[in-house]
Amino acid sequence: MTRKSGTATDRRLAFEREAMPHLDAVYSTALRLARNPDDANDLTQETILRAYRYFDQFASGTNCRAWMLTILYNIFRNAWRRGEREQPAATPEEFDAEIEAHSRAADQSRINPEALLLNRTAGRRIELALNALPAEFREALILVDVQELNYQEVATVLNAPLGTIKSRVSRGRALMRKALCRLDQARGKTGT
Amino acid sequence: MDCREYISEYLAGHADGELAPLARRAADEHVAGCPICRAQLIEERALKAMVRQGAAIVKAPADLKSRIRGALDEADRRAAAPWTARLIEFLAPVRALGSRISEPLVWAPASLAAAIAAAIWIALAVPQHDSVATIPPVPEFELAIDRFKQFQHEFVPNVPAEAYENETGAVYAWVINRDPVHRVADEADSDAFNDLARSYRSANLPDDLFDFMQAGYMIAGGRVDRLADGRPIAYTLYKGMAGQIVSLCFHDPTMAAPIGAVNWLGLRSFYEYKGYSICLSFYPTGHFISILITRMPVMQLMRDVAAADPSGISR
Repeated sequence: MTRKSGTATDRRLAFEREAMPHLDAVYSTALRLARNPDDANDLTQETILRAYRYFDQFASGTNCRAWMLTILYNIFRNAWRRGEREQPAATPEEFDAEIEAHSRAADQSRINPEALLLNRTAGRRIELALNALPAEFREALILVDVQELNYQEVATVLNAPLGTIKSRVSRGRALMRKALCRLDQARGKTGT
Repeated sequence: MDCREYISEYLAGHADGELAPLARRAADEHVAGCPICRAQLIEERALKAMVRQGAAIVKAPADLKSRIRGALDEADRRAAAPWTARLIEFLAPVRALGSRISEPLVWAPASLAAAIAAAIWIALAVPQHDSVATIPPVPEFELAIDRFKQFQHEFVPNVPAEAYENETGAVYAWVINRDPVHRVADEADSDAFNDLARSYRSANLPDDLFDFMQAGYMIAGGRVDRLADGRPIAYTLYKGMAGQIVSLCFHDPTMAAPIGAVNWLGLRSFYEYKGYSICLSFYPTGHFISILITRMPVMQLMRDVAAADPSGISR
């Protein structure tokens, strides 16, 4: 059931109540996609404005966060379609190389106290492992584990079949385990 | 169900609570009798929790929140203003076309054109505000006006790099259509697009190009220069029977859309500014802006931009 148009004030209030609480979720995802704060700001703003413009089409009772993330991904896909961007590791083979690079970076962090401190935090460890994942696995894991969407919602957001999402989550976790294990091994070798 | 099947087919869904009732029961039964898979399930849930904690949601910066609220307010303000007059204005060229047509057989296409125009308008129709409000001076628009005037007198393309030199030493890539010898743009417009796009990208600029063919404008050439502070800037000149359109694209992290747009189309806003029609676009990444400037009426520019990029969202 889509939202009935009320007065402009009602519409704005409803948007503030239902959509704006998800601003941080949108921003976090934008930050991961764009990989720099300036671009993330622009992506977030465009997503919110687009959501507001089409808020009448949001079906009450469904997951507003999933709806907004769908808009975000659509904008991202369209905006990046013609652009040239640095892409994260795209295949499992490249993933191995990426993890190897992160491991080397962890080795080198011994000589940089600040990097050492950062690398010691659990969050940093997870970030390193996540960033090494091929994009499709990382996206699926973040949407399920961090944004707490169900598989069907993730399939809608990423415009992919449900079976593909199931497979990406399963394979993504396996790759995460592997990445964390390799990072820990690298730290073990260097005593960090 | 054996362990291999459980781990490959059920484990992730089990940890995420995504199994259908029958599958859930089968998975529960297997785990109850298998300590190895039970440990795997515990570890899967621990990993899930670790990702949730380690990649926590980041709070949006306060200035972004403020910027967004301002943009929402602006959208509300536009929505509250009258718009019917704009529809009439938008359809004026089509009505004028109809009044010039005397052959009955061409009325059908004319009606179709009117219907398409109306449909485009409806698709674009974020209600607009009256455009009579004076826009305070905008340095970027002033730059665009300056270049528009300059290029009316002379425009010398300088990209792509694999060019030739003319007798005065100016470097040409492919050349304005009036050039008597080199009419490359006539020969392969798509090649021209690709060459220019590549050249702009190699200068670390977006491939800010529009296909205005339908609107009757051809690309006359492209240039890459530097602004006084060293920032690269791409200029593209489009020429048609009705005049010229100039586009400027450069990095401008400080610019915000000026108040006073007569309409919006995705990330594009349209202005009437000092007798010019301007389309300002923000690239969602990299803080690049694109300015299209022309003397044609702003509603016509909107139609042409919509036709050149029907999605209206690709930038």
